[in-house]
Amino acid sequence: MGLVFSISMLWPAATAPSAVLNVPVAARIISFVQPTPVGLIPIGIVYQPGNAVSEAEANDMERTLAGGFTLGRATLRTRRVAVSNLGQLTGTKAAFVTTGLRAYQDEVAAVASAQSILTITADAGCVVAGKCIVGISGASKTQIIVNKAAAHRSGIRFGSAFLMLVKAV
Amino acid sequence: MRRFFSLIAATAAGTMMPAGHLNAQIVDYATLGDAFGEPITTSVTGKPQRASEAPAAITIITHDEIARSPARSVPDLLKAYTGIDVNRWTAGQSDVTVRGGVQTYNARLLVLVDGRQVYLDHYGMTNWNLLGVQLDEIQQIELVRGPASALFGFNAASGVVNIITTGAGAGSHFSGTAEVGTHGYARVGGSVTVPVSSTIGLKVTAGHQREDERTIPSALYQPPRTRHVYADQISASLAIQADASTSITLDGGLTGNRQLEFLPSQILTEQRFRNQTVGLLVNRDTDWGSLTGRIYTNWLQADYGITTPATDPYSSVADLRTNNRITVMSGSGLIGLGAANTLRLGAEYRDNHLRSGSLFSDRIGYQVAALSGMIDLHPTERVAVTGALRLDHLWLDQGGTPAAPQIDPVSAYQRSITPISFNAAVTAQVSDHGRLRINGGRGLQLPSLISLGLRVTIPVSEVPIPVYFTGDPRLAPVTVWSVETSYSHDFGSGINFDATLFYTRTENLVASPGGSVDVTVVLTPEPIAVTRFANVGKFESYGVELAASGKISQNLNWVLNYSLARIDEDIPANRDVTLYALFPKGATPRHRANLSIDYTAGGWSAAALVHLASASHQSSFLPSTELTMIRVPATVTVDGKIAKKIGANIAVYVAGENLTKARGAYGSPIPADRRLRLGITTKL
Repeated sequence: MGLVFSISMLWPAATAPSAVLNVPVAARIISFVQPTPVGLIPIGIVYQPGNAVSEAEANDMERTLAGGFTLGRATLRTRRVAVSNLGQLTGTKAAFVTTGLRAYQDEVAAVASAQSILTITADAGCVVAGKCIVGISGASKTQIIVNKAAAHRSGIRFGSAFLMLVKAV
Repeated sequence: MRRFFSLIAATAAGTMMPAGHLNAQIVDYATLGDAFGEPITTSVTGKPQRASEAPAAITIITHDEIARSPARSVPDLLKAYTGIDVNRWTAGQSDVTVRGGVQTYNARLLVLVDGRQVYLDHYGMTNWNLLGVQLDEIQQIELVRGPASALFGFNAASGVVNIITTGAGAGSHFSGTAEVGTHGYARVGGSVTVPVSSTIGLKVTAGHQREDERTIPSALYQPPRTRHVYADQISASLAIQADASTSITLDGGLTGNRQLEFLPSQILTEQRFRNQTVGLLVNRDTDWGSLTGRIYTNWLQADYGITTPATDPYSSVADLRTNNRITVMSGSGLIGLGAANTLRLGAEYRDNHLRSGSLFSDRIGYQVAALSGMIDLHPTERVAVTGALRLDHLWLDQGGTPAAPQIDPVSAYQRSITPISFNAAVTAQVSDHGRLRINGGRGLQLPSLISLGLRVTIPVSEVPIPVYFTGDPRLAPVTVWSVETSYSHDFGSGINFDATLFYTRTENLVASPGGSVDVTVVLTPEPIAVTRFANVGKFESYGVELAASGKISQNLNWVLNYSLARIDEDIPANRDVTLYALFPKGATPRHRANLSIDYTAGGWSAAALVHLASASHQSSFLPSTELTMIRVPATVTVDGKIAKKIGANIAVYVAGENLTKARGAYGSPIPADRRLRLGITTKL
């Protein structure tokens, strides 16, 4: 009992679950795509101008990846893409989709599948609905959801080891 | 060898195929671990799993933890974790034991490097100075407590250690370490990784280490000469991305080592080991899972008693020259069944032979063919059911003319066995932060080739006819039954608690004669006396393992654990007089506890390990050739390390082990001393 008591004394208050995308995890997920991406990888940050939550998340993503995020032989470079102008996703390999874009998920999914863009979001609903390919959630323990049908539609293939660790829907 | 060169040719052909970019490891442990926020393992079921969700008791020591630790060897790293006994019998010889049953030359822990066996079958042991890896290049060390034979085969009887190295990747890397210390300690080692092309990467690793032996008390048997321990290693690995889905790894290495050791009989002699290995690994990723094929061969030359003169009373037993070759071919498929379930099917063939002039005949060996299967089912989101089964068929054989006088008929070496090993587990997420696990299994330890086929004479003055110390081809495998239940709780913010109750029964223990000798008279037709390796009995161990870990602040990590292991042994031959050198109850401390703390700030880092072990009794020979029990007192030992980064790529450090100078720190009849070292390490 003494041991349990001493642990509880060290246990800080739990942080509330966050809907903000875990950008370092999202960046690493790109390396599990087959074949492994190399070189300069353009990433679109899809957000809604005027939507405070979406803009704040986009700012956070940009800040985290400022200066380029290097993983193996790939370097990620971000660009903001407004949901009203999804044509700017052309040339990107992946799109980090901010939350609060439910009304635009169909358009995002259509562009992503047409241009083989990997969409990653903190909005699990987008993944379950088949509009986004990968969802990341969990404050204390990372959970990754992959919609295999959405991935297939976009021609995105992941390594088998990664797929055995995620929750597939 | 012809077959092997064919595979090399196939590998070369693979490089001509249209290729993706280099990503040689099908399981990229480092990136997957970073993505999921915890280490990833394949050592429990063969499928990639998060450490917290593995259906067995597993400890994973990460690259960062290794770098921070004061430890300078794999056993030193393992001793800080629950359920583990590490005995450093001499400066060079260590044994790692899982859940009780401490003995020299522990044969029940299978040790692998990147899935390739480094466990030595000739005597059924692991020489931790012959692993062929540098600490700097280890990505993670995975230790599974409990039988794992259903996945790894023979000798993963009480557990398995799988050492995963960083592999040859796409980038250029260099790491190097140089250390000097007290007691003649010096080590230099490093590894370099270079991309040969966009689809081929090369890694070369090398190292040299030496240190002086500890002082052996004059009351114990003294080897005639005690020289310093050394360990040399060089290895190379070529990783090839044959196409977008296929990776090929070709590797090889040389290791050499000389050290003083207690043999299973507890005789103390100096040995020289040399090992060569070459292997080929092919992984192919598919839409439904993955396929893996592997072939490797290890060649071992083990020379025993190299400093023991013919006049020494132990010379006839100690003087042993052996050559062991093992070739392993295996293939497995990991198949995803639906969204969450997985099936693994595997097949394996082994050819294992020992040559020596001190055997029943020139060559003793066996072949093994095995089939295995594992299924991992998730009937609900919170419940997982896992089962694994393996069937091994072993053919024992011998070659060459039996040595005269012939003690056993040749037919005794023409036998086969077909044992089964299995694992089963149920895990349930009982709350958002709590996980319950119930698992068990049956593991197998093969008798060593020495224990099956040894044949030497020993001096027994009381017996008026020649006395032979021999192996026994009729030995049964050691069987380990295990059941355990565990509860893990994640308190958030990196604080975890784990409690495990375990019960293990180890049957058909194989032991070497030691102390008094029980002989059988055999007519060949001249009368001779024979004493043998034998299946001598069993022991049960049961207890509890508690572990907690967390952060006090962003820079301060702590790990606390405690293990209680009670042992009940039943070795009938040792009831009245010691006939076999095996004492699982007395040799295993009942209580063990560890507290690890590490702190990092402003380019400085400090780490300390406080290790507690209760008293035990270890055996050793007296100069008079009598076996005696030495009490190793309860000890509290402290290991520590302080490091300072100089610039971005260099760190200097001072480290010490057994700072409290506790003489029982190593759990050996030879008292421990305090050893300090100063080192510099660089990463580019």
